[in-house]
Amino acid sequence: MFWTVNNALLEAMGTTLQLFALTLLFSLPLGLVIAFGSMSKWAPLRFLSRFFRVPGIFKGLAGFRPIHFLVDVVVWIIRGTPLMLQLLLIYFGPGLIFDNNIWGSGNGGRFVATVAAFVLNYSCYFSVIYRGGIEGVPVGQREAGQVLGMTRPQIFFKITLLQMVKRIVPPMSNEIITLVKDTSLARIIAVSELIKVGESFMKSDGLIWPLFYTGVYYLVFVGVLTLLFGYVERKLGYFR
Amino acid sequence: MSILQVQNIQKHFGNVNVLHNISFELEKGQTLAIIGSSGSGKTTLLRCLNFLETPDEGRICVAGETLFDAKDPAAQKEKEIRRKRLHFGMVFQSFHLFPQYTALENVMLAPELLAKEEKDFKSRKKEILQDIRSRAEDLLRQMGLEDRASHYPHELSGGQQQRVAIARALAMNPDIMCFDEPTSALDPELTGEVLKVIRGLSQAKTTMIIVTHEMAFARDVADRVIFMDNGVVVEQGEAREVIDHPKEERTKRFLARYSAEGSMRT
Repeated sequence: MFWTVNNALLEAMGTTLQLFALTLLFSLPLGLVIAFGSMSKWAPLRFLSRFFRVPGIFKGLAGFRPIHFLVDVVVWIIRGTPLMLQLLLIYFGPGLIFDNNIWGSGNGGRFVATVAAFVLNYSCYFSVIYRGGIEGVPVGQREAGQVLGMTRPQIFFKITLLQMVKRIVPPMSNEIITLVKDTSLARIIAVSELIKVGESFMKSDGLIWPLFYTGVYYLVFVGVLTLLFGYVERKLGYFR
Repeated sequence: MSILQVQNIQKHFGNVNVLHNISFELEKGQTLAIIGSSGSGKTTLLRCLNFLETPDEGRICVAGETLFDAKDPAAQKEKEIRRKRLHFGMVFQSFHLFPQYTALENVMLAPELLAKEEKDFKSRKKEILQDIRSRAEDLLRQMGLEDRASHYPHELSGGQQQRVAIARALAMNPDIMCFDEPTSALDPELTGEVLKVIRGLSQAKTTMIIVTHEMAFARDVADRVIFMDNGVVVEQGEAREVIDHPKEERTKRFLARYSAEGSMRT
């Protein structure tokens, strides 16, 4: 029996790993885009401040930054509601509202919808970590790049990026480890990840230990990740 | 003709008038020291020259070319400013070396990025990069840092870091080198080595503007001195003349405080 359970769980671990890897693959870069959005200084109504020196409504309008505002509202909604709810809405929403299940049927569709929900959710959390990392790099670094005639992309990629990465490794490791365990939420729309498969032995064979045995899988996975983060932190320890 | 002409620069931060009608000129090969108490606008003036701040009024010309004119906002596009900045080199009070690069890489980074934009870069890549490298090594040698080339900034003393920063600025071959209190973040022992390097640049006829609190140094090294107070130029003239025989009451008071505190080091 142990090997039957173990093989089933190994297969489920494959699904969990895929969900984990695909979420990271898309949300790590998307989070950076969202971070830039929330730092956007674009204020199309700024010209108003020239005409109205008086404080009040015009000053508020002149300082209005639409991209920053929009992004912050999205981040608020995503961070402010449970991931499980977002997962349900993303999977069932299109079918319920537009009578059009864009995700396709079967396990494939469920998995794609899950990845979409996870990417959206995690990129919002990552964006805040990125922003903290970018804002933590001293202004002097950017100015030093500027006076050397570097362009904004050059300054970001050649100077800021690595310093940001160094700063965000600890909070990112927290968030990524949380993601490992959040993958279990996918079972709400019947994706066969670890917990769902472990639980299934309760119904089919009356066994409870497979469910708790999944904990070992999570522990080993997080253990490997922890070693990896330690390695990255040591690698980036060559500068201060 | 003077290499730098600054005309009627004005700068406000909110309601505070930081710079008021600043005008001066600088001849090629000369060293200009800007002195004055903290908050007098010296650093802001230097930042205006380097396009880190945008003046509200005034004009800045280098070698006859108008780099900045407050009346012509169209010419203040990011892309153009970037090239114009290269007329000036800037050395900051707290160095701002890039921590993830070695001393040599710090010096080579900007010249390499600039070279990559040249049309013939691909065909002459090796040669160009080799030139940049040997020039960077020369500059570090000139700074007395040839054995520190592969060190990271956190492995260097403050004085060494500042000398790397000077080499980094020189690597872009600016027309005018600007120093913003280059020794204020250093303890007295390390101040000397940085001042020695700047003195050497001055003797080599590098055109320089130095914001400094080192009065004795300004007197020795600078050709001209500007004394600023509350955002205005109170007095300017030949360095020894202004420091030894100030005419204005405010300059006298400022300089008296320095000699009284015994900070007139030689």
